[in-house]
Amino acid sequence: MTALLEIEDLRVTFNTRYGEVTALDSVSMHVNEGETLGVVGESGCGKSITALSTMGLIPMPPGRIAGGAIRLNGEDLTKVSDSRMRSLRGGDIAMIFQEPMTSLNPVFTVGDQIAEAIMLHQKVSRDQALKDAIALLDRVGIPSPDKRALDYPHQLSGGMRQRVMIAMAVSCRPKVLIADEPTTALDVTVQAQIFDLLNEIQRDYGSAIILITHDMGAISEMADRVAVMYAGRVIEDATADQVLDSPQHPYARGLISCIPALGKGAQQDRLAEIPGVVPPLHMLGAGCSFKERCSLTNARCGSEKPQLINHGAHPVACHAAEEGRA
Amino acid sequence: MTDLSNSEGQTMADEPQQDYQAESPLLEAWRMYRRNIPALFGTVMLTVIIAATFYGMFFYTGDAYDIVWAPHEPPGVTPEFPLGTDYLGRDLIAGLLTGGGPTLAVGAAAAALTMVIGISLGALAGFYGGWVDNLLMRITEFFQVLPALLFAMVLVTLFSPSLTTIAVAIGVVSWPQTARLTRAEFLRIKQLEYVTAARAIGAKNKRIIWKVILPNALPPLIVSATLTVGVAILFEAGLSFLGLGDPNVMSWGLMIGANREYILDAWWPVTFPGLAIFFTVFSVSLIGDGLNDAFNPKLRER
Repeated sequence: MTALLEIEDLRVTFNTRYGEVTALDSVSMHVNEGETLGVVGESGCGKSITALSTMGLIPMPPGRIAGGAIRLNGEDLTKVSDSRMRSLRGGDIAMIFQEPMTSLNPVFTVGDQIAEAIMLHQKVSRDQALKDAIALLDRVGIPSPDKRALDYPHQLSGGMRQRVMIAMAVSCRPKVLIADEPTTALDVTVQAQIFDLLNEIQRDYGSAIILITHDMGAISEMADRVAVMYAGRVIEDATADQVLDSPQHPYARGLISCIPALGKGAQQDRLAEIPGVVPPLHMLGAGCSFKERCSLTNARCGSEKPQLINHGAHPVACHAAEEGRA
Repeated sequence: MTDLSNSEGQTMADEPQQDYQAESPLLEAWRMYRRNIPALFGTVMLTVIIAATFYGMFFYTGDAYDIVWAPHEPPGVTPEFPLGTDYLGRDLIAGLLTGGGPTLAVGAAAAALTMVIGISLGALAGFYGGWVDNLLMRITEFFQVLPALLFAMVLVTLFSPSLTTIAVAIGVVSWPQTARLTRAEFLRIKQLEYVTAARAIGAKNKRIIWKVILPNALPPLIVSATLTVGVAILFEAGLSFLGLGDPNVMSWGLMIGANREYILDAWWPVTFPGLAIFFTVFSVSLIGDGLNDAFNPKLRER
């Protein structure tokens, strides 16, 4: 079976003042119909660039897709024309952004904005589009949608705005829904509601969801499979349970141990952390990009880049895991 | 979980009871504007001036072009001509009422042209960036370094000095500022997330420029347009004063220009049109300032 969306060996580079910097280095991942793929990693490790590449929204220049393919139903999105990409965007693939505060146009009512999104992809009259918009607002759980449709974004709360964004994104029943940290800007109770909503949408529309997050809690709640990213590479690719229960890569393990344990039996130790920060992409040397922060390094880690290979349980890019030192 | 979602539903359901009305950013700006007394004063003043120039001649009988009395009759001496007469013996009040229309029309047309050129070029430069931006900005700079009045004079001299030519000349020399302002706004707004979001739902560049970025860039542009009207009126007056106005159409600038040689003998034919220009530009500036305050959220106290 071929996957609905398949990213294969994707390489994205940016021209910066440090020269050409590789933001994504042979990134591969895939997501099937009705499935949720979690993409996790620290800030700056390439999660959002992966999402933007898939949407064809990488600013070019300075960005450039230097290699690889992004296939939606077998159609390579890195090669399609601009107009085809535009009709796919918002039609077959849609995206929800991190900041619901700033991702709505402040000068139009939310009803107008959803109607615009509908009219971009469907040949319907303005009245019909507005009716559909109100139905969508109702669908995403906004009370008295006919009144809220006349509101401007600044009159709605963060959670409401994110619901509006979701309504806009699902207005054309996308096959793939990319959610780029959809709940980071929201408080915890609203986060849970948004995740519930995304799950419902997925059940109703059968969309595949790519959930980009750094919140392992969100992963455990939402994701079927997980791709862990570090410094522009996928370093571990497994089911959510595998990653949460038995992470192979030291970095994935670090991420898991950063989840605070709550409850009665929880020890009140100092919360684990991963020492150091993600190295700047223009300063990546040879070998594993995690070597400076890893406790399991040996000479090979400094010289040879680990590949994403299945050493047992699931694919992982780590020499230590391969050699059984982990 | 269920009671959590209830609590949010509750607050939203309660809101309509407060009977609040959805308010667009424009309405909100209008609310701010209404409280600004200088701006209101300017609005009233400009309305009076416009009304006088458009309807004044229906109530005041007399022809601005007719010689009706002895030249240089001082104001307040003859009851029929309260403001006196000019160097040919034409009635000054009739001149002011007739001359206002062309002055305002040229000012408004020139400002409109300025905005059209400035916004189009600025939007393209700011949105597309790269070589488009470079090219358009070099052109803008070229126009910016030319002495505006001199350039306008050349244009008017090359073509016949009609109202249209004058409006076009003023428009052609004063758009660079608007272009730069528009470009700056576009550069700022195009990297905001709702522009990316608009792209993400599949909007075309054209739609993003006109329907997403421009409405958000409008507030400073509206302010600048208002101020441009004032500048354009001054420009028209300046050109007429220099003798480059349309000699067949009465305008305030023309009145000043025609009478300036006799200013030491008769101050009034120059002073009254001058005051008319002053009050018009002053009222336009007050309005522009008021709009600036109303649209600028940083100056807005709630």
